[in-house]
Amino acid sequence: MIEDDLRAAFARHETLTPPTGPLRAAIERTVVRRRRRRLQLRLSGTALALVVATLVGFTAFTPDRPQTATLLPQPAASTPTGALNVLLVGADGPADRPYRFADSVLLVHVPADRSRLYLVSLPRDLEVSIPGEGKDKLNAALFLGAGEPRPDLARGYALIRRVVSDTTGVRIDAGAVLTSPVLRRLADAVGGVPVCLPAEVRSAHTRRVFPAGCQQLDGPASVDLLRQRYGLPDGSLDRDRNAQRYAAGLLRRVDERGVLTNPVLLSTLLTQVGTGLVTDPGETSLPALLSVAAKATGAAPVAVVLPVKYGEKPSYRFRLDPARGPGFLTALREDRLGEWTAAHPDQVTGLG
Amino acid sequence: MTYEEFADSRLGALLRYAVMLTGDPHQAQDLVQDTMVRVQLNWRRVARTDSPERYVRRMLTNQYVDWRRGSWARRVLLRGEPDAAVPAPTDHAQSAVDRDQVWSWLSRLPRRQRATLVLRYYEDLPDAEIAEILGCAVGTVRSCISRALATLRAEYVEACS
Repeated sequence: MIEDDLRAAFARHETLTPPTGPLRAAIERTVVRRRRRRLQLRLSGTALALVVATLVGFTAFTPDRPQTATLLPQPAASTPTGALNVLLVGADGPADRPYRFADSVLLVHVPADRSRLYLVSLPRDLEVSIPGEGKDKLNAALFLGAGEPRPDLARGYALIRRVVSDTTGVRIDAGAVLTSPVLRRLADAVGGVPVCLPAEVRSAHTRRVFPAGCQQLDGPASVDLLRQRYGLPDGSLDRDRNAQRYAAGLLRRVDERGVLTNPVLLSTLLTQVGTGLVTDPGETSLPALLSVAAKATGAAPVAVVLPVKYGEKPSYRFRLDPARGPGFLTALREDRLGEWTAAHPDQVTGLG
Repeated sequence: MTYEEFADSRLGALLRYAVMLTGDPHQAQDLVQDTMVRVQLNWRRVARTDSPERYVRRMLTNQYVDWRRGSWARRVLLRGEPDAAVPAPTDHAQSAVDRDQVWSWLSRLPRRQRATLVLRYYEDLPDAEIAEILGCAVGTVRSCISRALATLRAEYVEACS
């Protein structure tokens, strides 16, 4: 009967099976290539990314490199000195979704005096020059870099890192892309993240209503809040501000739990977060980053959105605010954000 | 068990399994290569499971069933005829053609149904284990198989009438 015919057909076609030797070699080659390219996804990379995540919670982490780029990472012997800039890119959806945009781009600036952290949001609708692609929105850089049909977030990160570096004039030496699943696991692993909102936010995606005031968000609620921009007075800029509030809350939570200084807690947290985090550890070791993070969490972070203005045409794109933008970027490059934010208190996001 | 030991002992079997799933040696190689790259990159986690082989087989099956984005999944084979490389058995010619028809009908089944047929009639696994590999209930496996067999029987009737 048909069952016997099936068995016979399967058995007869066993001879189609190719030899395993060449396949084995091809697997090895791919693994070697991917290990090299994947920016150390699993080992120190995951750990580093977690540090990045601990620092800002949402996108990527980039310490300042003391010298020009070298091909091989330097042995990270000592704690980095000087200002650090960490790039966190938040992307919606799982790592292998074909179309994906960087909808939260957060640059974490750690000043040389380690007095506090500065959370600088770069609006996703900012018009930027993307190498090889012309002018486009900042959030397209991740997608354009990741490629199709099998997107590679590590390459997407590499492109957006270059774009951010070109746009701001800040060197970026390490970073990460955090996807929704990673963020969800991270928020749950730290036992929820406290966020203080200045006004109520109603989710356009779920039935959740986030009331004005302080609240504790679990993993799914975290992802939900960070997606919301419809109905907010300032649209995606208000979403960026909520991401800053969230990052500050996550940072506080991680610090309270002693994760920054306790390797055992850190290791547990890393295991809970699992894979899916794309990170660029740069040249700094995990202990070095942790010590920097721990030093800089003494005072509350200060959050600023890059000063922007709508472009003339109805393209929904932002341009750098000609009045305040250049001064802000100069302050960022010269590690004088403290002075700048003191002089422009209206630009600082209230973190509650 | 190290990854090397695993690959030495199991790669051949996995490749044969992939040939039965895809019906094509090149697609099978791509499928196994993609899966084994992930296996090697995540070997510690794979080795921690009770049965690495079952775990890998599950990975490979899921990749075959789910993978809609990859290029090989959309590749269209421009060869409708049964593969000439298959040696003709000693039976008389018509019966050989009939049975290769079974092979080509398999390619029209939904991937999940084909996977259940391969697991039951090639790998000879019990339904419970098939359900575990596909991540569904035993009842689903049985209905999947009976639907696939019904499709094949219908093809049979059509070809013979």
